[in-house]
Amino acid sequence: MGVSAESRTSFIAIVIAVIALIAVVGFYSSTSSRISSLEDKISGIEDKISSIESKIGELPKQPQVTTVTETKVETEVKTEVQTQTVERTVEKTETVVRERVKLTVIGPWAGDEAKYFQAVLDEYMRRNPNIEIKYVTMRAEDVATALPLQFEAGTSPADIVITPWAWWIVEMAKKGYIEDVTNLVNKDEYVSGTVENVMWNNRIWGAPFTMWLKPGFWYKKSFFAAHGLSEPKTMDDFMALLDKIKSIEGIKNPIVTGDGVGWPISDVTEHFIINIGGPDLQLKLINGEAKFTDPEVRNVFENYLVPMIKEGYFSEPIEWTQAVTLWWNEEYALYFMGTWITGMVDDPNDLSFFPLPGAKGVVGGADYIFVPKAAPNKEEAIKLFKFLATEGQAIHVSQPAGKIPTWLKVPTDQLWGPMQVVFNKVKELNLQILPDLDDSVGGDWQTLFWDQLKLLWVNPDQLDQVLQTLTQEFPQK
Amino acid sequence: MAQKNKAYRSIRLREFKRAYSFLLPAMILLAIFVIYPIIGTIIISFEGESSLTLDNYIAVLTEKSPSKALILTDNIGKTPPWGALVHNIVWIAIHVPVTTFLGLILAYALVHVYGRSIVKSLVFLSMVIPMVVGGLIIRFIFDAQVGVIPRLFSLIGLEGLSRTWTAYPQTALFSLIIGSIWLWLGFSLTIHSAAVDSIPKSFIEAARIDGASELQIFRHIVAPSVWPATLTVMVMTLLWDLKIFDIVYAATQGGPGGSSTVLAYVMWLYFARALDYGKAAATAVILTILTLIAASYMIRRSLRGG
Repeated sequence: MGVSAESRTSFIAIVIAVIALIAVVGFYSSTSSRISSLEDKISGIEDKISSIESKIGELPKQPQVTTVTETKVETEVKTEVQTQTVERTVEKTETVVRERVKLTVIGPWAGDEAKYFQAVLDEYMRRNPNIEIKYVTMRAEDVATALPLQFEAGTSPADIVITPWAWWIVEMAKKGYIEDVTNLVNKDEYVSGTVENVMWNNRIWGAPFTMWLKPGFWYKKSFFAAHGLSEPKTMDDFMALLDKIKSIEGIKNPIVTGDGVGWPISDVTEHFIINIGGPDLQLKLINGEAKFTDPEVRNVFENYLVPMIKEGYFSEPIEWTQAVTLWWNEEYALYFMGTWITGMVDDPNDLSFFPLPGAKGVVGGADYIFVPKAAPNKEEAIKLFKFLATEGQAIHVSQPAGKIPTWLKVPTDQLWGPMQVVFNKVKELNLQILPDLDDSVGGDWQTLFWDQLKLLWVNPDQLDQVLQTLTQEFPQK
Repeated sequence: MAQKNKAYRSIRLREFKRAYSFLLPAMILLAIFVIYPIIGTIIISFEGESSLTLDNYIAVLTEKSPSKALILTDNIGKTPPWGALVHNIVWIAIHVPVTTFLGLILAYALVHVYGRSIVKSLVFLSMVIPMVVGGLIIRFIFDAQVGVIPRLFSLIGLEGLSRTWTAYPQTALFSLIIGSIWLWLGFSLTIHSAAVDSIPKSFIEAARIDGASELQIFRHIVAPSVWPATLTVMVMTLLWDLKIFDIVYAATQGGPGGSSTVLAYVMWLYFARALDYGKAAATAVILTILTLIAASYMIRRSLRGG
């Protein structure tokens, strides 16, 4: 009477399953016990911290410490009569409170741009030696794809997230994923209109970081000098300039059109809307008070952009970073781009720009910082948030990032040299800074706007269809 | 008789227990990571303001925006945009036969070529490239400034095709389809090569002795012998075409003017850009149903042990 092979196999399989189950349960319970033990330790540390904090609270009652400020104990000692005992107490306090904390910041910059932002983080780490910050590059599209699921699950891969999509931050705030920072951000200290983009329900959900401008057509001063060209003063001058450039040998088209995802085309289009139709038209389009099929918008396209496309003044869409090289190599003479181009060319001092003649405004846009509700180290994240929203901007604008601060307390002399020139020119021309149309509307309409303009650039005869699609698909309030 | 039945039932029960004790761990994982998300997606696709509804499906199927429409009904021209679903069908109609046939021809042609493993490795290289990178390569292959294809057409004087293919609605979709043939040919070649190698040499030698031409050998011996492999390639290619996303995202973002959108890209637009999870889920369900229809052949074949 032996045990059958099937029974043996069954028995083995059951044993394996039981072992696996025990292993899983064991692992779970050991992890749970470890977590509980860690929690106990954390709670112990918290108790110690609160006891130390209470001791600090008591310190001012002692006559020796009345002159030591509460927040900057180690640096701002204002009394000459300090006992060593007090200093030791303070040192000890600092050692315990300043636990090593690792923060993660997600931002949209890569390559050189990331390097310029890293300088800001490095400065923060220098000032706070207990903080270690890891920077992770994630484009706005990827942030919008990956993070909502994590937020929904109550986790966050970062303590601070930076994205240019203010509309998306507001959407996340509506879902309750974002920390309310109303008490941390003073709206009056920022460039008008920037904080409003991240407001919802009368609360503030993020802060603007540094901003870019899209001030006009960039050109190489040496190229203009070599061919006897000058900045146009009227629209007729502008058209004459384009004709003159077109006739220069080696020039493929006067203006190179950046492409990739489509936003460079939307930038030049908005510049025409603002300066032919007027700044109000831009604002009305953003608010949905004007339609793309309205006569004043149609005029911008029908009488300016479409004839210029048909005339061959614009190149066909070329990947925008590749277009920088081609334009710098003088295959094209003008490039409509944002101020970040100053950090992308070999010699920024050979760079200048002009807006459309008679320009009244330029588009400016900021990157926005927010703290996810599920940030792993929220307390430290909020401190870093405050730094980035204020003093951190001064460090970023001093780098060749092509940015200006949104925090008005940053002195303009802290701007990187070439950006000071740009900033002063914008001020001289008295150009109003306006919000970006597609960044403000956001959602899938933004993608549609880019895509339809890409279509218009290669098929200008489809103007009616393009304007109709943009009107029909505009989000209803 | 009753005792015999009882014994039979006992054996069946033992087998059942044994089979499921082995399957259990895998089934638990599948239930957590596959079944639960599928059910969750289906539920989300039917979720409305307050109750379960078909609204998301109706909205997705009747969408008219060129970048999100599954079947475009307004302003239809001879060139795209025609709607994401139609683009997927066009993709399948071109990609499946071309890739399958090219893979088979190459596999047979390489049998007699010295150093064929090097050629096969080179073709297979495209399979190991991440699809997003493949999409970027496609964009540059068809770029007027740096791309090979527009340069070739420029040399033969075809100005209409010597521009950036991905920038024009007339050519964007076709540039992606041609690019995908390059990316997927390695799969077809590998499967067909294995099948061709398994044909007994005696069949082909006997045909040659009987005076059959190479074309006749290919038509009457090679092609029928590798038919199961060809079917596998066709079904797998069809599934790949239905799910295609990465190269569209990297090369054209579905543009210009929605001329190269596909189902998976529309799903992504709803999910990541419109933040409309209901419609994204509805599109995902439609895509899954279409994929399942195509995959049912493979599943049936697997169940038959084929």
